[in-house]
Amino acid sequence: MRADRFVGLFLLALALWYGLEAKGLEAGYLADPLGPRAFPLLLSAVLLGLSLFMVFRPAAGVGVGFPAWKGQLAVIASFVVYSELLLPLGFVLATTLEVAFVARWLGASWGKGAAAGFGFSLALYLIFVFGLGIPLPLGQWWPA
Amino acid sequence: MDVWHQLAGGFAVALLPLNLALAFAGAFLGTLIGALPGIGPVNGVAILIPIAYALKLPPESALILLAGVYYGAEYGGRISSILLNVPGDAGAVITTLDGYPMAQRGRAGEALALSALSSFIGGTLSVIGLTLFAPALAGWAIRFGPAEYFALMVFAFTTLASLAGKDPVKALISSVFGLMLATVGLDPGSGLPRFTFGELKLYDGIDFLVVAIGLFAISEVLVLMEQSFLGSARQMRVTSTRVSLMVFLSTLWTILRGSVIGFFIGVLPGAGASIASAVAYTTEKRLVDREGTFGQGDPRGVAAPEAANNAAAGGAMVPMLTLGVPGSGTTAVLLGALMMFNVTPGPMIFQQRPEVVWGLIASMYIGNLMLLVLNLPLVGVFARILTVPRWFLIPAIVTLSFVGVYAVNNSAFDLLFMTGIGVWGYLMRKFGFPLAPMILGLVLGHLMEVNLRRALAISGGDVGFLFQSPISLALWLLSALSLFLPFLVVRFGRGRA
Repeated sequence: MRADRFVGLFLLALALWYGLEAKGLEAGYLADPLGPRAFPLLLSAVLLGLSLFMVFRPAAGVGVGFPAWKGQLAVIASFVVYSELLLPLGFVLATTLEVAFVARWLGASWGKGAAAGFGFSLALYLIFVFGLGIPLPLGQWWPA
Repeated sequence: MDVWHQLAGGFAVALLPLNLALAFAGAFLGTLIGALPGIGPVNGVAILIPIAYALKLPPESALILLAGVYYGAEYGGRISSILLNVPGDAGAVITTLDGYPMAQRGRAGEALALSALSSFIGGTLSVIGLTLFAPALAGWAIRFGPAEYFALMVFAFTTLASLAGKDPVKALISSVFGLMLATVGLDPGSGLPRFTFGELKLYDGIDFLVVAIGLFAISEVLVLMEQSFLGSARQMRVTSTRVSLMVFLSTLWTILRGSVIGFFIGVLPGAGASIASAVAYTTEKRLVDREGTFGQGDPRGVAAPEAANNAAAGGAMVPMLTLGVPGSGTTAVLLGALMMFNVTPGPMIFQQRPEVVWGLIASMYIGNLMLLVLNLPLVGVFARILTVPRWFLIPAIVTLSFVGVYAVNNSAFDLLFMTGIGVWGYLMRKFGFPLAPMILGLVLGHLMEVNLRRALAISGGDVGFLFQSPISLALWLLSALSLFLPFLVVRFGRGRA
């Protein structure tokens, strides 16, 4: 089965779900004949048609591969951790860790990555906070 | 004349020290961003929006900075095209055809100098075009009613779909994604919450900024992890960046033709720098390539695409500013940024916010001059960025994206949402869906729905009203034509093969 057909089926489901959600909305009235419901229903119908097109006329199968999936998953996970640690650890430390981690996946040593990350985050911190006046989190775990 | 009077007012804005500094910063950062393969104008503009916003810049200053990044990137893209045979951004793909062969023959400095000059001429001519055409188009579009606007937006989506990607169906699906995202939040007409699932955070709608950075920075990072050309450049010495007057004069007509082609293609919705440079190149090849030297390091093969891609950047500003309907991903992001600053582009902007439009136009004259200076003697500095290792560049982009979103919204939820959008955007790209239509859909969704509802409120629910006026009828016909043309071309091509 071609990749496009799978994607088409997923989009078909998305269109139906979105359309059903839209159906529950209020219909229009005299001054606003379309109301909040019509435009979303229109979108759902358009997506329905387009996804059917993808299911029945999928493009010639080009293999979709994910050669770097391990690194990508690790990096995505690190984004989630970074989002959560930014506030408690503060910008400089969290960023140093994030840069070191991503750099490690891309072939740099821990030391190199951490050094670059520390220099970069410190420079950004100084530019943002003192140069541009945009506050960045300093960290909540440290004694003031 | 009125235009000159207005333009003078624009220069009064653009020459303020803050705006001069921002134009320079935009030009500098744009060249840098353009020079880096993989990161193009749209990514750079998206990453810089939150910084402009957090600085609480006035809208005209923010636009001067962001537009500087946009047209600056068209200058920078050529550097790695010429030196590495890897285009710095989509508009510089064609520049590799003759730029790299020139470099291989030891004429790298000449190619860089000539392309900087072509970029400058293309850029400046297109700003002149913008100065003359934009007010005229705005004056004409002022008569547009809701039906015409709705048809115009449909036209923008269909041309983007037929021109931007290989697969028009996927491009249309991508625009529907954007339009669907735009329906999340309180309904503009009735105030009823839609698709919010009881989540109060969603009542204000999906944050444009979070989507733009997720789509264009986070997904880019995931794509870059699969590629290895970043930072692979050895230290390259570019000693003299000069081009002889003889060579320059021999390309002058090519540059002028490329600029005009680029400007008009840029004005068309959906067709941007990459199409403009390709059309300019093939036109020149047909017109002047008598000895068959194109593709082997012909200076004209460098001048044509570079003049055209810079001219296209100026041309693309015309529909964005005068109609409020952008035709490309980058101008859609610029439009979204303007809306964050409470400026709504459209035909009224010339009367309501002249300091914004004319300040921007004037700054583009100045910015192009700055870019010429930056890109002639200092091109070696920008070439050095190509030696920055990948393991540092990728996390640096990540950090800048996170800082930007955090600086504006101060919320960890938005950072997670941005990551999610980034993964979604990455998957879209893997399966061949272009991202530009989605951001256009998100930016225009609200307007599109409001205009549709207004039109039908006027007609009392009669759908025929959408097709009544000659302008809207023409736009519908053009939309249908642009949508079916690629299919017909494919059929025709198959029939002949």
